[in-house]
Amino acid sequence: MYLTDEEKRILDGEKGEIAQRSMSFLVEYGEAAGAERLIDIDGTVDVHPLADWIPQYAVTLDEVRELVKKGERFKVPTFANKPVAPGFIIDGWEKCGLPKNSDPEYRRKNMEALQPYIDMGMIPIFSCNYYLVSSFLPTVGQHCAWVESSAIPWANAILGARTNFDGCFHTAYLGKVPAYDMHLDENRRATVLVKCETELKSDIDYDLFGWAVGEAVDLEVPALVGIGKPTTSQLVKMNSALNTGGQVRMYHVPGLTPEAPTVEAAFQGNYQREISITRADLRRVYDKLNYATKEDVDFVYLGCPHYNIYDICRAAKLLEGKKCKTLLWIMTNPSSYQVAERMGLRKIIEDAGGVLLSGSCPGALLETPPMKVMATDSAKQNYYLTGMFYPEKLDVWYGSMEECINAAITGKWSSDWR
Amino acid sequence: MAETKKIILKGRKVIGGKAEGEALVSQEPLMGWLNVNPQLGCTTERNHPLCGVSFKDKILVFPTPRGSGGFVSYGTTVNYNTNPAAFIYTKGNNLTIFASLVAQIPTVTDLDQDPLEIIETGDYVKVDGDLGIVEVIKSVG
Repeated sequence: MYLTDEEKRILDGEKGEIAQRSMSFLVEYGEAAGAERLIDIDGTVDVHPLADWIPQYAVTLDEVRELVKKGERFKVPTFANKPVAPGFIIDGWEKCGLPKNSDPEYRRKNMEALQPYIDMGMIPIFSCNYYLVSSFLPTVGQHCAWVESSAIPWANAILGARTNFDGCFHTAYLGKVPAYDMHLDENRRATVLVKCETELKSDIDYDLFGWAVGEAVDLEVPALVGIGKPTTSQLVKMNSALNTGGQVRMYHVPGLTPEAPTVEAAFQGNYQREISITRADLRRVYDKLNYATKEDVDFVYLGCPHYNIYDICRAAKLLEGKKCKTLLWIMTNPSSYQVAERMGLRKIIEDAGGVLLSGSCPGALLETPPMKVMATDSAKQNYYLTGMFYPEKLDVWYGSMEECINAAITGKWSSDWR
Repeated sequence: MAETKKIILKGRKVIGGKAEGEALVSQEPLMGWLNVNPQLGCTTERNHPLCGVSFKDKILVFPTPRGSGGFVSYGTTVNYNTNPAAFIYTKGNNLTIFASLVAQIPTVTDLDQDPLEIIETGDYVKVDGDLGIVEVIKSVG
């Protein structure tokens, strides 16, 4: 890999041992990726704080504290995704009912461990959809280093920024990243035209559609036509499913996403094939996600990706004046949690017997409340949690927010999705 | 003694080193995070043909990664001595690279023929990561 003189000097240790280690990581990573050079990040970095991709290059908290003392800071705007090492609840933890997470000492220690990163300049958004509330987004063409399945297509497709799945301490500290894959023009052109031949209406229609496309195209870049005018919540769900049911990091929606004003602009002469997604494809995914037989539900989880403030408004309206028979968790980002508090939505949810939480999810916590049958409106959380329970079998239902809340109120699963 | 047939595939090094062993081939993409269990050394994705099948010491062959950056947990299998002997995949991205960097096991991709069409579970496979060469030995008859 080609390195500039400055990059070589960092690799030789001229800027200290941590910079040298960070550069060694980028060089080994870049060479394994077949990257020809590094690129300067002119956009943003998103990190799962304290989570190191490669333990051999880990930077310890003591080392970060030393850097802070020397006045060093992250070189580029750096945002915190949800903590995963370990995952813990940021708001509402007192009511979560999980022994570890409702222990104030556990939370204090975990928050304290993040402080050196915050002192380095990391902005503590603590959410998988930090991009909805961060107030500072990359613009078209800017190079980034983000993390999180659902966030990667938001950066590449919706914003037209350029990122692989590699945000971490090292990229934020040096402000550099290997220039390959999504950073290069030729890899961002669509190769497959995806015609949506069913009208997408509900939020979960977009979730199911994203999953079906992901399964069909893997790592390819699709151009999606016929998907209507999705809401923000629907786009978040579609992105999450595209990069869970498959590995779609980038897509175009001609007329909607910034790099594709037209179908021709999406392909730039790179067209290879065409597929159709029908209601039958959505049904197949829906059946795959309804991995349960027992109708009695005892845990309902909403908020993967984290609910935005309007999702919380809708959920609170459905819960107002009702009483839940099951445990109900609604997970959001810490910023929206504060707004929900101000709007009285937290109280409405709690009066109905639910809990509003922020900053995590069962998958990131690696636990759920004790339960046998759960329901969720998230294809992603649904599909990973059964893996977490393996070899024990988890019964998990999948349906709309309305169906999930109905299950929380009645204790029974019923669905009329078609 | 059973007769054998040898096929050579040429690809690109991701991680160097040499390994050999029996192939375990996934025709489906592999998914990480909670759908791989490093302690058990197997995928835990429901409905996946390899759910619960140990990949310890195997030459693990798969088409692509899918899903979360938690794919890196295929690499953290080294902490539990459940890791595959090598990775071979049709097309990857930084998820597969990170898993290989963590495990530091020979890894080859971008081969001149699709490994999923050539390699079958049970074939004996020799991987030379540095040269990007995969030798597939099949029993015949």
